[in-house]
Amino acid sequence: MKQVIQTLYPGLISLVLLLTLAPSSGLSSPDASAAPPKPTDPATLRQLQGRYYSLSRQLAQLMPGQPYILVDTARNHLYIRHRDRVMLDALASTGSGTILDKPGEAQSQWVFDTPRGEFFVQSKLTNPVWVKPDWAFIEEGLAVPKNQAERMEPGVLGEYALGFGKGYFIHGTLYTRLLGKNVTHGCIRLNDEDLKSVYRLAKVGTPIMIF
Amino acid sequence: MTFIPSLFSLILTLIPMTSTVDPSSRPFVDVTDAAALQEATRVLAEEVKVAARPQTYVLIDLPANTILLKGRGIELHRIPIKHWSTSDQHELIMTFRLKERPLVTRRKIDPSISPEQEPISLADMPTAYSLQFTPALTITLDSYGQASLWGMAAHFVRQWWRLVIKWWRAIWTEANSAVAPELDLTVSVDDAQSLAWMLTDGMPVLIRRPIH
Repeated sequence: MKQVIQTLYPGLISLVLLLTLAPSSGLSSPDASAAPPKPTDPATLRQLQGRYYSLSRQLAQLMPGQPYILVDTARNHLYIRHRDRVMLDALASTGSGTILDKPGEAQSQWVFDTPRGEFFVQSKLTNPVWVKPDWAFIEEGLAVPKNQAERMEPGVLGEYALGFGKGYFIHGTLYTRLLGKNVTHGCIRLNDEDLKSVYRLAKVGTPIMIF
Repeated sequence: MTFIPSLFSLILTLIPMTSTVDPSSRPFVDVTDAAALQEATRVLAEEVKVAARPQTYVLIDLPANTILLKGRGIELHRIPIKHWSTSDQHELIMTFRLKERPLVTRRKIDPSISPEQEPISLADMPTAYSLQFTPALTITLDSYGQASLWGMAAHFVRQWWRLVIKWWRAIWTEANSAVAPELDLTVSVDDAQSLAWMLTDGMPVLIRRPIH
């Protein structure tokens, strides 16, 4: 067996090297028809430069001119930035990514993610009261109450809440030891001090970018 | 013992096919270079359209060896590219839309046991995956940790095997038949997981190509 391997070994290595070198002969390289750059006449270059600067200005105009909120859900940080300046860097808690089956609905689930993308502050509340949704009862094995009053739970969301659509809020928490972890049902939690800063700096219409 | 020099030779042969990068490189456009300016302008025109909508998007800047997550033209997160290779740069000129983000197993809450469940984290994200786009484009993302010799070796073996598959496929594909473009990217393990986390279904992706 050893003799067979020793005999085949050089041939095997040669084959490996051949297969390795062959793809670099042009099959995966950049465009082979790329010719050396031709000199460009000054008028054409000026036209290209003009278009480039015009588009750069258009892109700059799309950037928020006001402070905006940036949420990093992987690292659980919330920032308020204004142009290149970071005005606030806050430890947060974002969505856990877990799922909960909806009873009585086949193939239907709640997915507890913090939504990603661009949003805007839609509402600003003081002393918010949590109106517990159905999942808050179901995940604890409790019956969903018919009486709306039984859903109300004051004092768990902190002093302020900022809504950004479809039931998602930036709010406070009693569980500050869990800040920095993905533990929420989709909302963004902050400690009291940072929440107050966000409430003070953000207005209705402030952009929120979440990734 | 005779295996080690052969393995070393094998690894050396892979080096010319990759682009090793300085992770601190920044995007730069030489406005006196018409070709570079044309490419930068092309990407900028696409980016203005994408950035005008309330969405985050990805800009893969191959000359700068960087993947940028952006929104409204603002850089939200930056990932350095260790290596990249592509089958055909000519095809990478559109705004591509990601069909589906990398799949990850989510943990289910069982109310009969406990409402608590281990949350998902970056560590749950895949470290190597393939992304499909519309129009047709395949981006294969691979990764290795800097401190892991075994990880690097495994990465080179995977890269070599992908090249063998492409070479074999090229032999059996007719010259005039359309092949979807492919882009291979290599990043660190943490960055691969980060990118998998950040991607969303339907996310727009733009690619800036090197000209020279």
